Amino acid sequence: MGSPQAKGYWIVKAHNSPLVSIKGIREGLLITLGNCPYGELISELTAELDQKQAFLQGSKMVLQVGNRALQRTQLSEIQTLFEQHELTLWTILADHERTRAAARELGLATRLPGSQTDLEGKALPSSSRPSSGPESTSETSIGQNGLILKETLRSGRSIYHDGHIIIIGDVNPGAEVIAGGDVIVWGRLRGLVHAGALGDLSAVICALHLSPTQLRIADQIAVPPDEYQRRAIPEQAFIRSGQIIAEPWQPRT
Amino acid sequence: MSARVVTVTSGKGGVGKTTLTANIASALASMGKKVVAIDADIGLRNLDVVMGLENRIVYDLVDIVEGRCRLRQAMIRDKRQPNLHLIPAAQTRDKMAVSPSDMILVCDQLRDEMDYIIIDSPAGIERGFRNAIAPADQVLVVTNPEISAIRDADRIIGLIEAEEKGPGRLIINRIKPEMVARGNMLSVEDILDVLAVSLIGVIPEDESILISTNQGLPVAMNGANGSIASQAFQNVALRLDGKEVPFLDLTPQTGLLNRFRSWIDGR
Repeated sequence: MGSPQAKGYWIVKAHNSPLVSIKGIREGLLITLGNCPYGELISELTAELDQKQAFLQGSKMVLQVGNRALQRTQLSEIQTLFEQHELTLWTILADHERTRAAARELGLATRLPGSQTDLEGKALPSSSRPSSGPESTSETSIGQNGLILKETLRSGRSIYHDGHIIIIGDVNPGAEVIAGGDVIVWGRLRGLVHAGALGDLSAVICALHLSPTQLRIADQIAVPPDEYQRRAIPEQAFIRSGQIIAEPWQPRT
Repeated sequence: MSARVVTVTSGKGGVGKTTLTANIASALASMGKKVVAIDADIGLRNLDVVMGLENRIVYDLVDIVEGRCRLRQAMIRDKRQPNLHLIPAAQTRDKMAVSPSDMILVCDQLRDEMDYIIIDSPAGIERGFRNAIAPADQVLVVTNPEISAIRDADRIIGLIEAEEKGPGRLIINRIKPEMVARGNMLSVEDILDVLAVSLIGVIPEDESILISTNQGLPVAMNGANGSIASQAFQNVALRLDGKEVPFLDLTPQTGLLNRFRSWIDGR
């Protein structure tokens, strides 16, 4: 009873696993599993997690398993796999009722808060589009799509998005925001922000109160000087002659 | 009558979750409420010791969950406060012995006969923490005026929100007003500035807590010895019960010079 689409032929990039795709969503990271036998899936997932462990660490994981029916033992094996990589699996999104029941037995959530799923955890069509994958977005989308979050990001939250990110709220120490484009924080920035994470040197970081633990733009890393924290004025950080600098925001007429 | 389930948690260990649980439970009981305290720290049980009930344990939480005893049999009634009960944790098992749904089930069975169910959460954000917050109607987050504890509290508040357990309310424990005045300790305002949640209590550092903890006699019990911390615990209990109680004035009685100095430091 495999689904008709996505056999794997159309995938171009060799180093990207066709069976396991990882992408940032509002609630953390969404891992979507393609169609393949369970055994193959596990080895593929293990390889992917091994490879990206450092990058993924600290994120909240949401696993989308499509319409395969998984037993409780299989799910708990997957859960253990995440634990071995020091990652926490929070949510299983599944189309199959048996999988959802098994996930609930293991204490996993089966829906995202306020998301496009019904109470049972059944994914509504828009949330499950495994075939669009990360390939189509990685190069074309910068400057075209933005992610707006109206909330305070607390320690342990990790937001990854390949376009711009706007946060209306604070970014607390211990939270990280990683964007392919610019990052704007309408609030206090006290955590870590990485703008232009895909290499865009012209990316900027703006905040009403810029006192981050660390700033990164493209491949540059900067730590603010101590006197910084006293200045509660809007500032903008960008790269000038190979260095990250921050300037008070000057309204232009 | 339907009980409210209140979980006391912190993320970081050693900030005073167990002491607070024992004292809030005791303070609520002394207000005439029927209270049961549940120790969710399976494998590292402490609440029984702090409450002075260690020697009366026969059955524990895991025995209830695994069906070796009835709920009633594992509930220890405190002889000093007949309204106060304890369900102890198992010491010989681990967190995996209980699931979040087991906790919900246990609490649901208690709701009809109790006014408050206070759950003592283990440190950390793993299974034990998830067990402890699963049945909660209200979560109290405990922190100390230390950066590390505040960072963990921030993370915990985020997790509580993700579990749709409301915003959580904050207790700042072990604050030293003199050190705050000298600018050597984070103040209540500094902490609230980062955490941005509603405050339900500020407990000053008080030697009598350590003494009473070692004796297994919560300071809040019958307002014992009238220490300032004991008063602070009572106030948390009252606020939990929906009463409006002003926060204790913890400004140290110091000379003009000190106050002037702290005013300068505070700028």
